Amino acid sequence: MKLSKMKLILLFTIALALLLSACNSTKSNSDEATEDGKVKIRFATWDVGNDVQLQQNLIDEFNAKNEKIKVVLEAYGGEYDTKITAGIGAKDAPDVMYMWNYPQYKDALEPLDSYIDKNGEEYKSDFYESLWNYNSVGGETLGLPVGYTTHVVYYNKDLFDEKGLEYPQAGWTWADLQETAKKLTNKDKKITGFAFPGKPDPYDFEMYLWGNGASYVDSDGKLKGNLNSTKSIETFSLFQDMLKDGYAITTEGSGDTEMKSGKVGMFINGAWYLSPLKEAGINYGVVEVPTFENGKSVSIVSSSGIAMSKDSKHKEAAFEFMKFWTGKEANKERIAFELPVLKSVVEEEKLQEDPVKGVFYSMLEQSEGYTPASFITENWSQVSENLGFVFEQIFNPSTRVDPKKALNEAVK
Amino acid sequence: MLKKKEKQPSFTLVRKRVPYLFILPWIIGFLVFTLGPLGSSLIMSLFDWPITGEAKFIGLNNFTKMFTADPQFYDSLVITFKFAAIFVPLNLISALVLALLITQPVKGVKIFRTIFYLPAVVSGVAVSIIWGWIFNSEFGVLNYLLSLIGIEGPSWLIDPKWAIVTIVIASAWGVGTMMLIFYTDIKGIPPELYEAASIDGAGPLRQFFNITIPTITPTILFNVITSVIAALQQLTLVLLLTGGGPLKSTYFYGLFVYNNAFKHHQLGYASANAWFMFIIILILTMLIFKSSSTWVFYEAEMKKGGKK
Repeated sequence: MKLSKMKLILLFTIALALLLSACNSTKSNSDEATEDGKVKIRFATWDVGNDVQLQQNLIDEFNAKNEKIKVVLEAYGGEYDTKITAGIGAKDAPDVMYMWNYPQYKDALEPLDSYIDKNGEEYKSDFYESLWNYNSVGGETLGLPVGYTTHVVYYNKDLFDEKGLEYPQAGWTWADLQETAKKLTNKDKKITGFAFPGKPDPYDFEMYLWGNGASYVDSDGKLKGNLNSTKSIETFSLFQDMLKDGYAITTEGSGDTEMKSGKVGMFINGAWYLSPLKEAGINYGVVEVPTFENGKSVSIVSSSGIAMSKDSKHKEAAFEFMKFWTGKEANKERIAFELPVLKSVVEEEKLQEDPVKGVFYSMLEQSEGYTPASFITENWSQVSENLGFVFEQIFNPSTRVDPKKALNEAVK
Repeated sequence: MLKKKEKQPSFTLVRKRVPYLFILPWIIGFLVFTLGPLGSSLIMSLFDWPITGEAKFIGLNNFTKMFTADPQFYDSLVITFKFAAIFVPLNLISALVLALLITQPVKGVKIFRTIFYLPAVVSGVAVSIIWGWIFNSEFGVLNYLLSLIGIEGPSWLIDPKWAIVTIVIASAWGVGTMMLIFYTDIKGIPPELYEAASIDGAGPLRQFFNITIPTITPTILFNVITSVIAALQQLTLVLLLTGGGPLKSTYFYGLFVYNNAFKHHQLGYASANAWFMFIIILILTMLIFKSSSTWVFYEAEMKKGGKK
């Protein structure tokens, strides 16, 4: 009897040891060099499908050229943030990773200023200035810009043609947009002039406040007096009134489903929908976001960058790869699915003259100097959830709370 | 004699070891992936545990915060129970009805059986996306079909009054597994019982209530418990279909825990939330088991003279 128990325990221990060593082996791998004596850099991407293949090709190129570094691509796909989070928590973060939500991860990321400075002023100034702002937290640069999108107005050319309306031009105002939306709306055909999300992402929505000279928070991160300022309330009322007057609808998602149905005249979003809308057979154009009276046409920037883990064992090698990944060549390789972030590339490829892509660049240049509340407020994820709820109360047809009341309530 | 004695222990040794060997993979899986996380989440619930940065021991503060300082905790709890109260009976009844239908000796019953079961094997993510399209108030199929019979459908995913109904309908889609369990049980009822009953003049309805239902009460018990647990843990659908909205009307407890952990990065607090739900489920399950002695019928008990 005793013997059997002993053996059983022994068996258990062996099995567990095997299991644990299996877990361990991945860890020790990243510390040591690969078989061919190269330093191994783990690189995590959130892209899926074809984009991953494109990235892998680019990495193969880098690996072939580089004698000392071997980069391994880890495609995390949909649940990217959860997996990165788990990796960081387990002290097993990839050396280099795609990043957008810097404030949330700032404690786990390596400040890059010293690395960038070594490469000279020219290196840094080739990137669009507005983008550095989105890749730093509290004055420290935490990532190198890889791609970005600003928001623009997509409009359905066919619906405009049907009504004999002229296409909108840069410099148009919200009053113009409202006027156009009214003309486009056709209740019998279920066509609406304008659509915006019924539950807008607070991060995105702040650009409308900026355009009207307001913002969610001041530089200390205080909501009171900012979110419920006259200008801010005015902005929310503008959107709510469009719903009340019936020439705008709220969308259930970001609005692409509705736009693809061909029954919506205009909607505002980023570059993500350039090809999906084309594939859906929508004949669309893009134009700058309208301005407020005495305001500017500004957009939020959704930026993607690559950051380095603080725990990386090979920081120099990692930065070497990051430089390659954000360099001219790589920017050009990605041009099919990512807007280049280097001025030199934009110039060479004449992107500013492109009737579609050019709009995204002029929006980017006009949007310099704004910092989203998510970079200022501590605990943005909680604030964002609360704001989202308030916005929903304002726009949801079953509540449609007066913006003044809702926003005053929200800052309490 | 002596020889035999020597052999005996080694025989029992083999006899006792082999079964454990067979279930070893499961035991390891259970220890590493279930018991381990369960234990560590209990420890985590006593910490302020951000993902980046250091964890700090804060005793029972997570629990006090949950009960005293977080209104969303109560809101989510109420919504989840409301959902369970609608979902569990509805799901049980529809599973039972479907099971009865596929036990009927009709032509093509095999095809129906497959069709009814099919949604249960489709991934929850796909189901959520498809329902998202179906329920779209402007362009969705459902409201189009309703408009054909002259009903103006509600804004399913926009109106907070309807959103919970939306989730109930969408989750009822997975009724197939439960149906199959009922089906096998109903199939196992000896036909003599029905024959005897019909000779005595009992109609189909009477047969159903006096033979089918009492015989399958153990299965009903099983299905009640599993669907209560499933309802209280519902996450996939709200995460993907409604994101907790509109106006937080579907901010289920599961989503509450998930967001606290992976959106707000408060692992300790989320662990405390999860443990609270674990205890609630434990108590509920125990209550249902306790109540079962009054309504669940076991053949074995009957044979002993139905004493208990």
